[in-house]
Amino acid sequence: MAEIKVGKYTVLSDLLYTETDEWVKLEGNVATVGITDYAQKKLRDIVGVELPEVGRTFSIGDSVGVVESVKAAVDIYAPLSGQVTEVNGLLTSSPELMNKDPYGQGWIFKLNCTDLNEKVKLMDAENYVKKIQKGE
Amino acid sequence: MFVSPLFALEEKLGANFGEFAGWNMPMTFTNYQEEHMAVRNGITVFDLSHMGRLRVKGNPNELEELIAKELTKAMPSQMIGPTAFLNDKGGFVDDVMTYKVSDSEYLLVTNAINREKVIKWIRSNSSLAVEDLTFDLVMLAIQGKKVKDIFDVDQISHMIFKLNSKFLGKEVFLLSRSGWTGEDGVEIWAKPEIAGAILNELVQMGVKPAGLVTRDSIRQEMGYLLYGEDIDEETTPIEARYWVFSMNKNFIGKDAIVEQLKSGVKKIRFGFKMKKGLRIIPRNGNSVSSLGYKIGHVTSSTFSPFLNRAIGMGYISPSHFFLGYTLEVEVRGKTYEIKVDDFPFI
Repeated sequence: MAEIKVGKYTVLSDLLYTETDEWVKLEGNVATVGITDYAQKKLRDIVGVELPEVGRTFSIGDSVGVVESVKAAVDIYAPLSGQVTEVNGLLTSSPELMNKDPYGQGWIFKLNCTDLNEKVKLMDAENYVKKIQKGE
Repeated sequence: MFVSPLFALEEKLGANFGEFAGWNMPMTFTNYQEEHMAVRNGITVFDLSHMGRLRVKGNPNELEELIAKELTKAMPSQMIGPTAFLNDKGGFVDDVMTYKVSDSEYLLVTNAINREKVIKWIRSNSSLAVEDLTFDLVMLAIQGKKVKDIFDVDQISHMIFKLNSKFLGKEVFLLSRSGWTGEDGVEIWAKPEIAGAILNELVQMGVKPAGLVTRDSIRQEMGYLLYGEDIDEETTPIEARYWVFSMNKNFIGKDAIVEQLKSGVKKIRFGFKMKKGLRIIPRNGNSVSSLGYKIGHVTSSTFSPFLNRAIGMGYISPSHFFLGYTLEVEVRGKTYEIKVDDFPFI
């Protein structure tokens, strides 16, 4: 997966992105979700996370949890509608993984998507780069 | 926005910058947990160029009238503080550190956010001459448990300063045995090129550069107050439990303080700890309750890497200020238990 550098931020070419700075990796119906490198750098030191419950269903745009940093607490939103099938339990004791490896070990939850047509509401890497540039 | 003269060097050292009180300053270099623990267990250096540094000259009685602590009894080279400029109601115009150069000359360090306000306050309440040194000098704080490993701090006593001194062999305008971390250390004021060389040398010696996020978590462990969050023009030293005044003299705001000492206060600053392992940080303004009844609010809070729990401070009704008592704080619509505690937390 190619890395795109936007100033000090990294965007991965093969992921999809939300307006609220979640990244989405789609494999069939399963979406793995985390927060982007841009989001973690804006939040700075992450000290906690409220993970969604496995089995709960969410609609696109619902708040599913909270990322707590020394600077602020922000909601994590469902990028697509679906049911949570797995959460990254490592984050409970090591939330800083979202800072250290936002696209890897810092993933937050997996969602079994119920409507893949919603994909059109997400940004590709190129458009997410534009969003970051606009925000800076 | 103002930037530190050391901006370019700090960028090379990997600083992440952010806005604080109108300055673009290093917030972290690596992450605050590492930097925080380096203060408690090692040595760190902070760039504090954003803090207001003023030289005040003139009739000593005039400054004595403006400042809440006694200045004239101190010896030259002695620091007096923290002390404060108070308004007529006893509220904080600013809390400051004072450095007595001579009976008629003092140096002051103000909060960054209040630099211009303090200059105006002094000018409008006295005939003292105020010179702003903030943009001519860089201020560095070298702080940490192991500061003695790199500098013989014992050559200067606590709360004493030297002018035109040397630090690591380099000429500095001011060298003081002081800090705001609860650890041993020194603070220096120096010309930017010298301060840059000192910062470089310190980093090469293994001293960890630290940013303002760390400064905030460190000061909260000690219960030190931050202007704008924990104190302001509506808060008095009595409410803040901040002993910045002397009863042996007159100063602006004293009448209001005397009145509060006689009749009591409606709010009092308290410290709190959240349960271990609960990684929730209350924010400024979050309400504090007892048995569901609102009795106060949070002003500062952070996650202490040293204690591995969230800590904070705020104001509550004095009638509920029992050490060890459990109160509730509301964070984003949920209620969490907090235990009333006192400072320092470590």
